Amino acid sequence: MLNKKTKNKSFIFFLFSLLLIIAVASSLKVLDDNVLYFFSPTEIKEKSNLNLNQKIRIGGMVKNQSIIVNNNEIKFIVTDFKNEIIVTYRGTVPNLFAEGKGVVAEGKLQDKKYFVAKRILAKHDENYMPPKNKKKLNDK
Amino acid sequence: MFNFLNIGNFFVLLNKVSKSIKIIFVPVIIISLVFALYLSPKDYIQGDTVRIMYVHVPSSWIALGCFSSISFLIILNFIFKIKNALIIFKSLAPIGLSFCLISIVTGSIWGQPTWGTFWAWDARLTSMLVLLFFYLLIIFSYKFIKDQNFSSKICAVISVFGLINLFIVKYSVDFWSTLHQPASVNIFGETSVHKSMLLPLSFMLLGFLLYCALIFLMKYRTEIIRMKKKGLKRL
Amino acid sequence: MNLNILIMNGYGLYVWSAFIFTFLVCLILFLKTKKSLNKVEKDFHEEVKKLSAEQVKTLKKRKISKEILNPQVKIK
Repeated sequence: MLNKKTKNKSFIFFLFSLLLIIAVASSLKVLDDNVLYFFSPTEIKEKSNLNLNQKIRIGGMVKNQSIIVNNNEIKFIVTDFKNEIIVTYRGTVPNLFAEGKGVVAEGKLQDKKYFVAKRILAKHDENYMPPKNKKKLNDK
Repeated sequence: MFNFLNIGNFFVLLNKVSKSIKIIFVPVIIISLVFALYLSPKDYIQGDTVRIMYVHVPSSWIALGCFSSISFLIILNFIFKIKNALIIFKSLAPIGLSFCLISIVTGSIWGQPTWGTFWAWDARLTSMLVLLFFYLLIIFSYKFIKDQNFSSKICAVISVFGLINLFIVKYSVDFWSTLHQPASVNIFGETSVHKSMLLPLSFMLLGFLLYCALIFLMKYRTEIIRMKKKGLKRL
Repeated sequence: MNLNILIMNGYGLYVWSAFIFTFLVCLILFLKTKKSLNKVEKDFHEEVKKLSAEQVKTLKKRKISKEILNPQVKIK
């Protein structure tokens, strides 16, 4: 049914796409760490080649009742429910920054438990609902 | 069997459809704008910024969907030499490009009040920018390469790369840690957007799709007339 | 209450700029497409005028050309 040219073309096409997919998948695998926008506290703990002078980003949840505001300095704990990192930061935080919400901090690690942030970004989740429904959920 | 692949039949069919699209387009847009800007509730944390979702999310969907159909058509044209596929993808490309641009710009406008930054080089945002470049590459390669055989080959190569990138766009939020939140609306899984917000979202999507259809019809007609004009000399 | 649709509790600038940007891009795309369609249609009709009567007759037998020349069908 198909003529020879069409067959040839589809063969070349499938071979080409297969090779390309393998190439891209393997290069992403190599680049793994660079594709990550931030590290979780557990990943920081398990990381062996940690460079303290390098600017990195860490992310997770702001632990409940951990925010301490002191003059212009703000101190809070980032957690992924397994490990925790203490973060200090000077400056204004985004509106959505709150306890129990996601956060990404950019800055330098002092050691594996202590982080000095230069910039704070709020990470919000994929849930959208009106305020009334949130109240109902909380009351339950 | 391949009746719709015949350009003549397809063209006549499209002209019939166009009238009804024009009639329902304006009311749908007005209703969806009223819902999106006024009637829909605000979000429990984000407040009123959530209204940006109603333009950002549908336009991202259209940008992604448009690219996948363009790639499919290019590959179809490359393997089977179907002329109609060529004309359809040429008419779709500018629509996809515009909505990709809308998605990126509205996304970064949304990013400023919620995340605290306009742009972050995380996997989702970067791959979306790459998608924009793929759109540009495809448009340039059919516009500026005169040799049709060569340009269809180039387009096929670009579209395979683009499809891989499309896959990365879709799954970047699940594979890697990104600033961008995971998908809220899932066809097969759970949808985490409340019903009262899903309604304006779907209305907006319908409005955008109708707009796309309108532009597509005009573009398609332009391409057909261009093709026929060349044929006039042979009469 | 009426003013709140503009201010949006302080987020008005972001929301409105996103919507206006979307509208502008759509409008520009629409106008560009319409302009090129009008131009091509005009060119086509001018080319047809140059043809002889017999050629026009054969042209009108063809499905697509008939559709293009039909003044009632206009996508705009």
